Amino acid sequence: MAESKLDLLQGTLDLMVLRTLAALGSLHGYGIARRIEQVSGDKVLLNQGTIYASLVRLQQRGWIAAEWGTSSNNRKAKFYSITKTGRKQLSENAANWQRLSDVMGRVLAMPEEGGTK
Amino acid sequence: MTDWLRQSFHRLTSTFRRAEMDHELEAELAAHLDLAIEENLRRGMSAEEARRQALIRFGGTEQAKQQHREARGLPVLDIFLQDLRYAVRQLLKSPGFTAAAVLTLALGIAVNATMFSLVSAFLLRRPPGRDPEGVAVVSSVNPAPAFHADASLVSAPNYLAWRDANHVFADMAAADEYRTVSLTAQGHPEALRSAAVSLNYFTVLGVSPQFGRTFEAGEDQPGRENVVILSWELWERRFGSDASLIGRTIRLNRANYVVIGVMPASYRLLGFTPQVWTPLVLSAADQTAAARTDRSLHLFARLKPGITLEQARAEFAALARRAEEEFPATEKGWGAAVRLLPDFLIYDFGIRSALAVMMTTVGFVLMIACANVAGLLLARAAGRRKELAIRIALGAGRLRIILQLLSEGLLLALLGGSAGLLLAYWGINFVRASMTFNEAISAVPLSLDWNVLLFALAVSLACAVLCGLAPALNASRTDINANLKDESRAASPSRSLSRLRRVMVTGEIALALFLLLGTGLLFRGIFLVEHQNLGFRADHLLTASVTLDNARYQDASQKTLLVRDLLARLQHLPSAQAVAVASELPASGPGSVTFRIKGQPELPADLRLSALDAVVSPDYFQAASIPLLRGRTFTETDDATAPRVVVVNQEFVDRHLKDQEALGKQIRLDVNGATPEWSEIVGVVANVKTYSEETRDDPEVYEPFLQRPLSSFSLMIRATSDPSSLASALRGAVAQVDSELPLAGVMSMPALIERQKGGDPFFVRVLGSFALLALILAAIGIYGLIAYSVGQRTHEIGIRMAMGARHPDVLRMLVWEGMKMTAVGAAVGLALALPLPKLFDALFYGLHLREPWLYLLMPMAIMVVAMLATYIPARRATRIDPAVALHQQ
Repeated sequence: MAESKLDLLQGTLDLMVLRTLAALGSLHGYGIARRIEQVSGDKVLLNQGTIYASLVRLQQRGWIAAEWGTSSNNRKAKFYSITKTGRKQLSENAANWQRLSDVMGRVLAMPEEGGTK
Repeated sequence: MTDWLRQSFHRLTSTFRRAEMDHELEAELAAHLDLAIEENLRRGMSAEEARRQALIRFGGTEQAKQQHREARGLPVLDIFLQDLRYAVRQLLKSPGFTAAAVLTLALGIAVNATMFSLVSAFLLRRPPGRDPEGVAVVSSVNPAPAFHADASLVSAPNYLAWRDANHVFADMAAADEYRTVSLTAQGHPEALRSAAVSLNYFTVLGVSPQFGRTFEAGEDQPGRENVVILSWELWERRFGSDASLIGRTIRLNRANYVVIGVMPASYRLLGFTPQVWTPLVLSAADQTAAARTDRSLHLFARLKPGITLEQARAEFAALARRAEEEFPATEKGWGAAVRLLPDFLIYDFGIRSALAVMMTTVGFVLMIACANVAGLLLARAAGRRKELAIRIALGAGRLRIILQLLSEGLLLALLGGSAGLLLAYWGINFVRASMTFNEAISAVPLSLDWNVLLFALAVSLACAVLCGLAPALNASRTDINANLKDESRAASPSRSLSRLRRVMVTGEIALALFLLLGTGLLFRGIFLVEHQNLGFRADHLLTASVTLDNARYQDASQKTLLVRDLLARLQHLPSAQAVAVASELPASGPGSVTFRIKGQPELPADLRLSALDAVVSPDYFQAASIPLLRGRTFTETDDATAPRVVVVNQEFVDRHLKDQEALGKQIRLDVNGATPEWSEIVGVVANVKTYSEETRDDPEVYEPFLQRPLSSFSLMIRATSDPSSLASALRGAVAQVDSELPLAGVMSMPALIERQKGGDPFFVRVLGSFALLALILAAIGIYGLIAYSVGQRTHEIGIRMAMGARHPDVLRMLVWEGMKMTAVGAAVGLALALPLPKLFDALFYGLHLREPWLYLLMPMAIMVVAMLATYIPARRATRIDPAVALHQQ
């Protein structure tokens, strides 16, 4: 069966955006979207447009800041960067996510009962 | 938490920065696509392919924008604003409908807000002073049936005993609230309402003076008691707000009093707002057994922390029982009641039941108004079925449709509420200008305060739900298929819709009839009182009241001398026919007295016979024109040295002497502070109503003034000309006798009666206009319903007439439909109104309402109004040319 692309869980995109900005510093929306695509090895099903809802949400929470600036090829674009609160949230959420993923791993690894019969 | 707050704030603000944020997003998305296209070009795609790929990777731009909006803003608020905008457009499209609905609601809300300003002023305003809910008022409970028997005054011996014995109050003060003092300033005397209060009175109530101080220890001792505290109003009016007045002397009751303080203007306790306060001096005489029948004190007490009202009540019930055991002669049957200060003031003021009736009435008016508007909205909803069906077919949820129709109702209600508040502003001014029938009422400021504003808002919101919900729920049940196919030709309006409207109109008729019957009863009651024969002639009578001070008029002979002198002078005034003094003017609610008839067994204190008791000078019956039925009235020779005599009224004979001959009978009155003596009945006079505002006749005993001189009495002059023209001559005559003796309440008897009635006639007129408003609104409701249903059935009527139905047949059918609703509504209203006379009897003391014909007349009136409201549109329908009707869509 061909591997289908992963649907994004609620909230995961926010976390990805935060992580990307933490790693790369100031970046515009297109850059963030491309970076996430690249890192996931194109496994994430992402309409690039959806990233903007995530960006405005994070901005309203004060986790990222935005500023109009000029891109490397002299184009006007809005640049986002992670704030101090954003970094704190990132480390908390990342830890949570890690725990959840561990638990999911263990639960899914349970041997099937029917197999012993 | 702060994150959440911050986000909510941003979400809210972005709702209102929509255009700006959309614009910025637009720019950002454009930049995004440009960057993507550029990268694709660098990878070697053709320009067209680069753009196509960029757009594919981006996903839909519209979806992205929508997601952005939802993430940044408040979708619910967005939808609401959208609904509101839509509602505004809808209402603007039909200005006639909008005006009718807004005006109807405005009237309903205005009468409610206006009446609520009375509730706010009288019931909701906290009394002044620190923590008024911690102050209790202790009253006596009179075992005999009397007005406010459970809020009677307390005697000085009980005050002293209870103050010292109770464990529930931190402190307990007493006030004799109903004293009159004469103030002489700039040469002219004026009678003032004063209160004599115990030294701790102000501390118990927790109020401090605006200037100066309150009473100090020792100022209730004889010789030191000549200190006085003024009310703000008196200080302003008589002393020109002179701040240097503190410490100076003024003349009260012919003695010098030092002004020690002025109370703030805000210090008002509804019925208890005297103009001066002096110390209450309790002497040894106030602690004797005789003082027990002199109940003249209000007791104010501060509850100890942690003590509940229930505990205080239990304590005082026990204290009252102890008094009953120790002094059975005077205390038998008497109890004690404890209330919190705010409750007591309202109870004492006796305005609660009137306000309850008013608020119920205006509440009904509002319900009728809402029913009318709901009916209008339903009719419109029927006209919009197709539009709604299309919206639902396009995917609008039921909830969305309901919310949208509700927001239309909300908008109407808010518009109605604003217009209603404007009307209420006038209404409140009108009520304030009309409510001047006594000082206590006019002293309470009516205003459009926050309570009224909040109430109007709440009422408007309630209206929004009441008006909007029925049409909204109904519309949301729209059957798409039926409605889209339906070309409305030949279709009668949906059954459930017209059933709902019929129910509402029936309800309106029931409410309107209920209100008409209620106010009709009250109107009739007041009319009877206004036109009753009082038993004396009130016209051409000038009255005034006099209170003699102890300084100059200590004993009986001095009082008698003054009265004789005064009457002789007044007799010589040019147009004076007869002059008299009396303890109480006729029909002004004299005090009552218990008595024994010689030859009948002595009864225990609480079972003794009682009668009204008036003390009058010889010419009283002539001056008042009260007919003498048998025997004689008093003469100048019935004085202190002569055998004691009394005159009784016919009711006394009927009630207490039955068939026996009254003349010559001996009775003994239990008069305060006097040794009981046997008096002979020498005459019987006709009955005079006990109160001019009630229809009661009570047994009454008249005593001659010369045998029992009083220090507080009224003057009465029967004049041959307009009595008011005698006022200055009266003042002059009194000044000649005693220049420092103030006359109070100089007015004609009819004016006095008008005043005694207080707000009743005004109150009933206001109620009547509300009932009329209700009737008009209900008539409009019926008219609207029939007109609408006729309009909807034009096609059907056309068919009927084409098939040969004649005009009268159609007319009969339509009118019959209207009359069925009216009859059902009237029957319900009639049934609801049946217990009203009983209810009013309990609420309004002394009105006797038994008017069965009203129960016939009012339903007939409403039938006639409903018939007209039905007939007009029905008649119009029958005039339609069948050919036109059949072609009508």
